[in-house]
Amino acid sequence: MRGCGMNADITIDAKFTSCPGPLIALADAVGKAQPGQVVKLLATDPAAPSDVKEWAAGVGHRLIATEKSGDVWELYIEVSG
Amino acid sequence: MSKIALIVASEKMDKLFPAVTLATTAAISGWEAEMFFTFWGLLALKKGYQPSGVTLDYKAYEGKLNEALASGSIPGWKTVLEQGLATGRIRIYACSTTLGMFNLKQEDLESFVDSIAGAATFLSKAKGADVSLFIS
Repeated sequence: MRGCGMNADITIDAKFTSCPGPLIALADAVGKAQPGQVVKLLATDPAAPSDVKEWAAGVGHRLIATEKSGDVWELYIEVSG
Repeated sequence: MSKIALIVASEKMDKLFPAVTLATTAAISGWEAEMFFTFWGLLALKKGYQPSGVTLDYKAYEGKLNEALASGSIPGWKTVLEQGLATGRIRIYACSTTLGMFNLKQEDLESFVDSIAGAATFLSKAKGADVSLFIS
């Protein structure tokens, strides 16, 4: 699935913050979101795609797309019920 | 449920940061985190404590860390810890022996300290942990 241009209900900009900044920001946003909503995380930390993938699998949310635009990762997470 | 057990034996930034990063990441991932602060690590639990640098061996790199903290690219250790504490899945124990050595009482410590504990209590809490680390 293509990520670029995908619709997201919430966008979290965690660019230029290092681990664990992006994941903390994402977890906070996902915790406040409604089931079925898509949260988009923008991150420049090179560990973010892997960290988000592992975190999502562990807590039961779905990483539906991973894209990269320049140095910026765009990670799309669908919030589970 | 997965669990991480951490013994924190240093009050320096380069030791506190990885300790709280792992505990908070575990907590926001649904794990339980048990943290035992002992020896110099206990000093980090004093009310209003601000870490005053890195371990002496790595003093040459302290400027880099300070730059990253100042720019916000690395969050402060207390900020990271507070995010984890908000999940309710991190428990913090203060070593009773060290507390006595420094003539401290629980009221001298931050309110997020769950209890004063000895080795047997921490072993009981940490028992069965999936990840166990001594950070010093």
